[in-house]
Amino acid sequence: MSLAIAGMGWVTPLGHDVDSVWEQLLRGHAASATKISEQFGDRLYSVFRVPESAMAGSAHPRLRRASAISRFAAAAGLDAIKAAGVKLDSEKAERTALVFAISNGGVIYTKRFYRDIVEAGAQKASPLLFPETVFNAPASHLAAILGITSATYTLVGDGAVGLAAIKMAEDLMANEAVDYCLVVGTEEIDWLLCDAYRRWRLLRSAPPIEPFSEQQRGMILSEGAGAILLAREGPFTIEFAHPGGSFTKRAEAGKILKRILSDLGQRKIDLVISSANGTFIDQAERRALEQVVPETLVYTAKPALGESVGAAGLWQVVLAAQALRHAELPPVLHAHPGITLRLSLSRTPMAGARRAIVLSCGLNQQAAGLRLAIQC
Amino acid sequence: MGKPSSANGKKVTARVAVVAAGVVSPLGFGLTETLESLCNSRDCVSPVIRFSVEQCRCKTAGQIPDDRLLASRGDVPRSRRLHRASHMMIEALKEVVTQAPQFKPELTVIGTTSGGMSYGEDYYRSLHQGRRLRRAPTWIANYPAQKPVLDAQETFGISSPCQVIANACASGTNAIGHAFECVRSGRYQRVLAGGFDAVSEMVFVGFDSLQASTPEKCRPFDRNRTGMVLGEGAAILALENLDLAGERGAPVLAEIIGYGISTDNFHITQPDPSGVGPQQAMERALQSANISADAVDYINAHGTATLFNDAAEGKAISRLFDGVPVSSTKSMMGHSLGAAGAVEAIVCLLALQHQFLPANINFGALDDHLALNIVANEARPAVVRTALSNSFGFGGTNASILMRKSEA
Repeated sequence: MSLAIAGMGWVTPLGHDVDSVWEQLLRGHAASATKISEQFGDRLYSVFRVPESAMAGSAHPRLRRASAISRFAAAAGLDAIKAAGVKLDSEKAERTALVFAISNGGVIYTKRFYRDIVEAGAQKASPLLFPETVFNAPASHLAAILGITSATYTLVGDGAVGLAAIKMAEDLMANEAVDYCLVVGTEEIDWLLCDAYRRWRLLRSAPPIEPFSEQQRGMILSEGAGAILLAREGPFTIEFAHPGGSFTKRAEAGKILKRILSDLGQRKIDLVISSANGTFIDQAERRALEQVVPETLVYTAKPALGESVGAAGLWQVVLAAQALRHAELPPVLHAHPGITLRLSLSRTPMAGARRAIVLSCGLNQQAAGLRLAIQC
Repeated sequence: MGKPSSANGKKVTARVAVVAAGVVSPLGFGLTETLESLCNSRDCVSPVIRFSVEQCRCKTAGQIPDDRLLASRGDVPRSRRLHRASHMMIEALKEVVTQAPQFKPELTVIGTTSGGMSYGEDYYRSLHQGRRLRRAPTWIANYPAQKPVLDAQETFGISSPCQVIANACASGTNAIGHAFECVRSGRYQRVLAGGFDAVSEMVFVGFDSLQASTPEKCRPFDRNRTGMVLGEGAAILALENLDLAGERGAPVLAEIIGYGISTDNFHITQPDPSGVGPQQAMERALQSANISADAVDYINAHGTATLFNDAAEGKAISRLFDGVPVSSTKSMMGHSLGAAGAVEAIVCLLALQHQFLPANINFGALDDHLALNIVANEARPAVVRTALSNSFGFGGTNASILMRKSEA
């Protein structure tokens, strides 16, 4: 079965347009960190937010009460369809599936809803907020906007959930009654998430994210969405959506990543888009990459864009496609020069590059990968 | 029956057998206790004890007693840290593994709505009240929705990739339906599928705030129905290519023969009153199974007992089916959200195996606007060859699966 990417959408802290974000990454730009404060103390957290200006013109009546996570998702999803040049009339919408990838979900409204319960009691809980706390609220908004009446799924997981969603989309596209599958990964930021990841010892207090550093100083959270419209034909072919697997201990993550890389690396690979984010993931990925594809160029955008968890896998796929399309990789920011991997430390041309691996290791025991090729 | 080659545009290469099943719910631990509760039409809804419901209209839920749920946790590594939802999943998977120790899944597809939500509540409440957060790392690490699935897999040495579906109250049926299509298409040979959810304060208050839950008994399809009660549980089915199951001599508990999914886009919490979404899901399940509505002997309805759900679902059922017996077993155990579709698939499995119709308890008189053949108050013997199970959720997501009695 042929599975192709026909269009892509991207809402990131560097903006809301695939080519302009890509251009900024090539120039070595990073998103500006902003500080958010916790509600019950004095602690400040650095995060990469989607600028308000990036969402201008993205309003839709269906989303007027929706949280940021739904607005990011809708913007990215609509961009992907537009980029593919597909007009989803009712007939096409009937033959289009929707798969969402989410990790933390609508944390802002969830926190507000529960805060009302804690502070004022159950009688003060808002019936308007509760439906927006449900994991599939963003998917239901986008399905309504697009008029999709067939299969709609929301997958939850860790940072690997984006690639798991693409794998599920591949399964759905095996059905000949489905012509398109829109896959969207989305996430929003709140101080509560920062507090949780800090207590989990995965967050650092301020940038930079130092990829592949042995010190594992931690990550900076970010928000946004990524979307790809899958079709039977398109400029990029997903040659192999690896099902991945789960690991029980952090120390075992490298083993499963190595297996994924070995399976995906059966063809000549020109680049790997890594999920390195300054945490334990980096060392697991580094070991696997050194053992399986030591000569292949490696790139991670997380020092520039932050860790967007549920959106991250889709961002990585967009990065891989852009790298193949433009035959060039941006510089990996804030990497120490002694790292033995073949990192793209400056803007790196890749004439003739044809295939990329996207590797994704989550913080909560899941890992996945896929292999992408550009049509000649 | 010969092998069909396509159904509703879907590539069909295999029939799909249920070769093992496990369940824990307010009806009981395991298939035997669940069957006994169903046959006795037992009301398993009780006063909520896990958190204060003083300010809520509804005071009851279907609950799994902790003294039993946590009794065997000494057998599980790190078990004191795990969420109740993890223990439910472990119990359900233990029953599957006991029945089918050779079953090695290539994929696990599980539905949920809220994962380890009460740990998130503990964490936030402690922050808010300035309490010590010594247990915060445990709460945070065990809160994610996928964690109970991974915990259960780890307990039994399973490391297959997981797809955790959060399609609100349709999640469990979506998980089984998607797993069914994965096996039927020939892309996978063996898949674990199911659902879980544990009662939590936030979700309980959420449904109460919507005035969807009732201070009275849960009376699906009754003219005096006043709403739902929540429940909890976990259920897992082991699905396998029927031919391969036969080759290895595995017992076939039932077949899954069809799956339908639809999205009605009407409102984020309410179904389209016309019933078009549920109707599409049921029609697509029939098309997927390549059978007519006449072939269905029993419908396990979504039947939450809310005014809107039962009206929409009832209309859709009466348009498609002529006098087929219908019951909502949520009347006995409450609505377990992401687990509901999986637990109710087990109910259908038992109805097929033991040839009876589970009851819709607390039933007085049928809603005047509906034309349904309700299995009122008592289970009864019947010839049941094919059963349909419905689940519908927030966001307008609708799912139906069809199961058939094993020919073996």
